[in-house]
Amino acid sequence: MMATKKVRLSAFFLLFCAIGPAASGQPASSDNPRTGPISGYMEMHLNAPVTREDGDAILDFHRFVLLFNHSFSDRLRFIGELEIAHAFVEGLEEAGEIELEQAYIDVLINPAFNLRGGMMLVPVGIINERHEPPVFNGVERPFVDTVIIPTTWFEGGAGVHGRLGSVLSYRAYVMAPLDATEFSADEGLRGGLQKGGRSNIRNAAYTGRLEYTQVPGLTVGLSGWRGDSGFNIPRLNPTVGLVEMDGRYRRNGFEFRAQFARVFIGDAARLNDALTLLIGVNPNIARQLQGYYLEASRLFSVNRWGHEVSVFGRYESFDTQFRLPAGALPFPEFDRHAWTAGGAYFLDPDVAVKVDYTHQGSAGTLRRAPRTLNVGLGWWF
Amino acid sequence: MVVLMFQVKGRPRTVAAVVFGLALMAGMVVSLIGQTPPAPRAVRVTAERFSFTPSEITVAPGAEIEFHLRSEDTAHGFRILGHQVDIAIPKRGRGEAIVRFVAPGPGKYTFECSRMCGAGHSFMRGTLIVKADAKGVR
Repeated sequence: MMATKKVRLSAFFLLFCAIGPAASGQPASSDNPRTGPISGYMEMHLNAPVTREDGDAILDFHRFVLLFNHSFSDRLRFIGELEIAHAFVEGLEEAGEIELEQAYIDVLINPAFNLRGGMMLVPVGIINERHEPPVFNGVERPFVDTVIIPTTWFEGGAGVHGRLGSVLSYRAYVMAPLDATEFSADEGLRGGLQKGGRSNIRNAAYTGRLEYTQVPGLTVGLSGWRGDSGFNIPRLNPTVGLVEMDGRYRRNGFEFRAQFARVFIGDAARLNDALTLLIGVNPNIARQLQGYYLEASRLFSVNRWGHEVSVFGRYESFDTQFRLPAGALPFPEFDRHAWTAGGAYFLDPDVAVKVDYTHQGSAGTLRRAPRTLNVGLGWWF
Repeated sequence: MVVLMFQVKGRPRTVAAVVFGLALMAGMVVSLIGQTPPAPRAVRVTAERFSFTPSEITVAPGAEIEFHLRSEDTAHGFRILGHQVDIAIPKRGRGEAIVRFVAPGPGKYTFECSRMCGAGHSFMRGTLIVKADAKGVR
């Protein structure tokens, strides 16, 4: 009965998303869209667990993001990105938040070498720098890009970027480090983001990315992060490293994506000991975390208005306790995997109504991993 | 076949000179009419968040290039810094933008996306290389 109600609610939300633009009887876009100095993207989600034990359905205006840009000259440019997450902001921890995800100055010298400083996105993985809703498949971002790579990952810093020849691009930044005292066993690095607000920079972190684009339609990326992260703990300074590889290939409407990431946390045993003294409970932080996913999708043009449909399937494996310090036992519920299948209806290349079904699982037996029906409306302008 | 016959009065040398001159002029006119300017070289460029493919284009000085620009996702722009080229690239499935450009003197010229297209908009740049030994467009 409960499940039927959730399916009805999902169907209603989906219908609402689809009917709005179609009701006008006009194509959803023209060849000359009107744009202004402000751009942005928004996404609203309905997450409906399939069974009662997994809780109630949630309707969430997840992200409302505005991008601003200003060119002082051909060589000097400002770009800013301001996000309101979960629609409503108040002083409590579980409420929404306002985040300044980007606010930097680019000094554009030549395509091979440019300078950047300010609040910047960490150049790791596929999603962190390409997170506009019509760009990725699925209502929610992949789990690997949530608990292994903590998107949206941004921090203050400075660096260089450019393109070397016709096939290789790079970025290399020095940024504020992570805070190891906020890591956790289930969400990995996510709690340790300093987010550019009075970030402690006793230590610097170094990050970079290389992208190779020799073959048309193919992009291969390699990225990394390294920084000492123990400024909140006396006489302990764990080094955090992350290596990531990814690939995307698109041809004739098909697209394939793959991503692999592994996190290394140095001195994890001493970090757990120190945090046990501070908070009274051993947080069981791993010395290695690992995740990967494989995804295939197909895009079709479906009608005279230029609407499109995509379908996709994705398999993910993500373990936030991949390797524990000697003597510690892993909690098998953190060794997780997920199958996600679904699609999107594009009323415009920048407006997508998304639906998917996510079936999570884990190596443990204590807690059943959730199964969720998700519906989303996302757009870029 | 039609044969036109006519009589020219005057001295034979003068007549020969006039006939030669007329023939020469006719030849030049026919030559000019028959000669069409060389067709511009088509360069197909694909734009997507956040790169152009190809991102490096090599041409000879003075070569006329016809850029055919299309997008794999949202609307982009194509602008050559320091020149009068700045055109909108329509969204995926909305056709292509075409713009012609005569390559200036040897050097490297930057082109970039001129329409905000996402978080990595500033990465979207490329180079037009103009050099004397370039054969056509690469």
